[in-house]
Amino acid sequence: MFDIKRADDGTVKLIGRFDAAQVEARRAEFEALSGSCVLDLAELDYVSSAGLGLLFATLKRLTESGATLKLINLKPHIRELFQIAGFDRIFAIE
Amino acid sequence: MASERTFPKAIGSLEEVFNHLDAFYAAEAIETGPAMSLSLVVEELFTNLVKYNTASRNPILVRLGRENGRVRIELVDHDVDRFDPATLPEVDVNAPMSERTPGGLGLHLVRAIVDHISFEYEDRVMRIVVVKNVERADV
Repeated sequence: MFDIKRADDGTVKLIGRFDAAQVEARRAEFEALSGSCVLDLAELDYVSSAGLGLLFATLKRLTESGATLKLINLKPHIRELFQIAGFDRIFAIE
Repeated sequence: MASERTFPKAIGSLEEVFNHLDAFYAAEAIETGPAMSLSLVVEELFTNLVKYNTASRNPILVRLGRENGRVRIELVDHDVDRFDPATLPEVDVNAPMSERTPGGLGLHLVRAIVDHISFEYEDRVMRIVVVKNVERADV
């Protein structure tokens, strides 16, 4: 299961298992993000290269438009994947 | 315990693949950390077969087994053209954002996670075998 929820403060929460099938199903929601965004990954249990790729494409698009994308509350194993991918040096992570 | 099952060659099969893996983890009492890593490995390899082995739509066999502290996973794809994942471009994880492309990241993650990986191709059958120690505390 994977879900995307927007909190009252505008933070976007990613929840559950973000696999290649979910990337195909939810791509349009990421493409609709505009302006500077904060993604809260506290409830993200799993992400594969497909999910990382969509997050990267979103970061690139927002950055090119002058906006920012920040990731917060990564679980340790998710943070480690970002490190293996070299994304810890590209994304703003708190 | 050994377990094997075939899945339609489609991204939409992933949920069933995960269900198959979760049943194996439960039967083998594999902890959440290593289980997540193994699921990631299987997803990356399975989706690569879906994306690149397009010559046939035959189902993909996923075979799971455990010996001592190691899990062995085999994916078998029948009647396909030769595809050597080693020919995919290496990811430069140190490249700046402007030079990064998404391609090859999945295999990079797989290589970082598993202890052994091999690709075989014979008689139009592709076989990928990965082995991971699941009794060590790492990704």
